[in-house]
Amino acid sequence: MTLCQDPFQGFGLGLRPQHFPDILGPDGDEDLGRVDWFEIISENFMAVGGMPLRNLMAVRERRPMAMHGVSLSIGAPDPLDDDYLKKLKSLADLIDPAVVSDHLCWTGAHGVNLHDLLPLPLTEETLNHVAARVGRVQDALGRRIALENASTYVTFTSDTMDEWDFLAELTRRADCDLLLDINNVYVSAFNHGFDAADYLAGIPKDRVRQIHLAGHEHNGDHIVDTHDAPVAEPVWDLYRAAVARFGAVPTMIERDANIPPFADLVEELGAARRLAAEALGEAAA
Amino acid sequence: MTAPLFELQDLFQDRLLTGRADIEAHLTSGGPFLKVYDHAYVARLLEVMGEDFPAVHTLLGDDAFAEAASAYVRGHPSRARSVRWLGAGFRNWLGDTVPWSDLPVVADMAAFEWGLGLAFDAPDADALGVAALAAVPPEAWPILTFDFHPALNTAALRHDVAPFQQAMARNQDPDAAPEEFADGSQTWAFWRDGGTCQVRYRALARDEAVGFALLWDGGDFQALCEILAEVSDEDAAALHAAGYLRGWIEAGWITGLSAPGLSWA
Repeated sequence: MTLCQDPFQGFGLGLRPQHFPDILGPDGDEDLGRVDWFEIISENFMAVGGMPLRNLMAVRERRPMAMHGVSLSIGAPDPLDDDYLKKLKSLADLIDPAVVSDHLCWTGAHGVNLHDLLPLPLTEETLNHVAARVGRVQDALGRRIALENASTYVTFTSDTMDEWDFLAELTRRADCDLLLDINNVYVSAFNHGFDAADYLAGIPKDRVRQIHLAGHEHNGDHIVDTHDAPVAEPVWDLYRAAVARFGAVPTMIERDANIPPFADLVEELGAARRLAAEALGEAAA
Repeated sequence: MTAPLFELQDLFQDRLLTGRADIEAHLTSGGPFLKVYDHAYVARLLEVMGEDFPAVHTLLGDDAFAEAASAYVRGHPSRARSVRWLGAGFRNWLGDTVPWSDLPVVADMAAFEWGLGLAFDAPDADALGVAALAAVPPEAWPILTFDFHPALNTAALRHDVAPFQQAMARNQDPDAAPEEFADGSQTWAFWRDGGTCQVRYRALARDEAVGFALLWDGGDFQALCEILAEVSDEDAAALHAAGYLRGWIEAGWITGLSAPGLSWA
């Protein structure tokens, strides 16, 4: 088996089982040709075999891949899970991903996994805790990881810094990368009343390794990051600003519910491609 | 009000698991959108339970399934890194918890769906061919023990749930509720075809189930012959055991043979 050696660049999609027939079937070439890479949810392929593994490797032969986790729980109080890290490394060794990422969050304490991306107080104490753990994870994996800004719905009275400053300092202390989720910036900015432009301006240019786009649910006084709808117009606007600042960062659309036909997502990805080209053209002009 | 990170996390987790309000004092403006986390916790887990147990869902109907699955996830906070394992204890919980324990067909269906799932995505392993049996030296046979494929698993079922589940898998309406087996519970095996990765299942004969359970628990071939002699024809026990063994090998259930102190090519 030969892994695809194409460079990790351009525009990708989250790999979802519903789309395996489109990607690997005889009629998939046209749509697949418009997807430069795929991102997998790491936990879905850790220590698995059978058809899921067979499909994963078939896709990996055709395209570069990124690994995106949801259970690293980098901010948790519990010690890092060595068994989890071992399985994560095994998967990374198998598919040679361009990026290994997870979220700036915690997912549970005392051995419990709440399977949600829970918010952290933005304090010096948290920064020290997370930075030390990122270092240990990177040592265990033998590679740099990227952390994603999660959508948040609360902030803590103990917060002493903005999220963008927290992330910027984290990249310096831990020497890690960032996965910038533009929808999450928009969602958190709306929910907490900060300016998304300030967020982008505070993120170091040289640390953004990958960009996520996704849809959300607007509930009037707050927005929920649902990944169940097309990317919203204001998020496209923010993406344009992000491309102007960060350049041609590999960008993908995440869809986890109400998953549309593969061709529809490819079409939506085309919009990202066009918008990024425009933004880069304007920035160069 | 300020508190150390770990204390805040304890309060946050308590909120999601028990509904306690103490975390609100540590959130800006009391955390008006804390409800998003409240809702997402159970909603996400219920969605996973629905995906893993669609036939249980159909058997119970929307309301009863939501009630059962909610009570289960509330009572069994996940301790696994992957939500894939959330439903691992659902079958036993359904079987042990009133009122669901009064409907044992529901626990059987949960066991059947879980067995199929285990067979579907368990790690790969190289299954032995029949030729591996021919290479076993005569002195190894009595003390021969077996390694089984990770995808192979079994469940004891009191109801014939397969037709109902299979109809659903084909997007057809099941004709009738699963019937209880006339002669008590049966052991069913679930495994994966090595070539196609398709999931297979079948009921084991009674003596086959007894013999298989013995080997699964680390018993050797001699013990298999002895137990088959007890439950069936004593004279034909060795032949009988060899027949079952051949069938298990041909199905790809066995990945290793070993005998203490002996080795062979």
